[in-house]
Amino acid sequence: MSRAEGLFYHLCRLTLALVFVYAGAVKIQDVVAFAGHVAAYQILPYAMNYLVAATLPYVEFLAGVLLLLNVRVRPALVAIGGMTLVFMAALVSVLLRGLDIDCGCFDPAGGEDVSAGVALLRDVGLMALVALTWFMRSRLTTRSAKCETRGEEALKAR
Amino acid sequence: MTDNLKRIFLEACVLMAFGALFGLTMNHQLVLDAFAGRLVPQRPVGDMQEEPQEKVPLAYPMPILLDEVQQLMTEGGLLIDARSPELFEAGHIEGAISLPLVDIETVLPDFSRRVDRDRTVVTYCSGFGCPDSFDLGMRLIETGYSDVRVFEGGYPEWRDAGLAVAGEGQ
Repeated sequence: MSRAEGLFYHLCRLTLALVFVYAGAVKIQDVVAFAGHVAAYQILPYAMNYLVAATLPYVEFLAGVLLLLNVRVRPALVAIGGMTLVFMAALVSVLLRGLDIDCGCFDPAGGEDVSAGVALLRDVGLMALVALTWFMRSRLTTRSAKCETRGEEALKAR
Repeated sequence: MTDNLKRIFLEACVLMAFGALFGLTMNHQLVLDAFAGRLVPQRPVGDMQEEPQEKVPLAYPMPILLDEVQQLMTEGGLLIDARSPELFEAGHIEGAISLPLVDIETVLPDFSRRVDRDRTVVTYCSGFGCPDSFDLGMRLIETGYSDVRVFEGGYPEWRDAGLAVAGEGQ
């Protein structure tokens, strides 16, 4: 992997990491308000909104931290990609039902309202970033493996 | 390759399980309250024998969802707005009456004269995170109302669902 490719990989990884660390951290600050945003989607029964609000931000935060530390990158990408797909399905359902709600993607206690349409576009961008990071990471590990094999072969040849 | 993918998915599952478990540990009381505590109607001690099944007095207001509010409205339930008079004037659920928690001492005597104690009442305020509807519900139970519900989604959820609202801002 060239230096530019390496930089691009780290840029993608760090962008995703910061987005998810921030998204998780602000929701952890106010779980009840986030439960309200989950309830506004009108998908889950009453108590399940609290269960999702109590657990989801911690998964987001943990996945973001792993990306930030460059540890277990691909499992973290799978978790982030899976969550983003679920968010997208929920947003599509909101759009189909014509609900005018704030997506609750980030700060649940305040800030500007983000409509489901805008949030969906943002999630498409995040999914693209997940795919790019996965691809770049795969290239990085494949190159490393090839280098190791060549190194071993060179040693044997001596 | 397949083994590698399996391992990655397994690790992702462990990651999510660990995060969820940590979240549950940090918020177990909130989740327990949602699933059991405040959802379970509790009978006051001493009233255990004579009470008929349908009219069990609640120790806590029962949280209900949007569709249940709509159903109760058609069955004669009374919607009560716990927010300040200014917010009520600016916009409220159509058909609701104002009983601001901030002026409860002034407005409650008149309210209790006009509304029967056995009527189903539903309190609401400014959505999740707003405690006024729950506090007002508790106050109504103390006053003797036997069937008190709380709509935690409140005015924002009702309005965002495109349902009928009234007030100056509409």
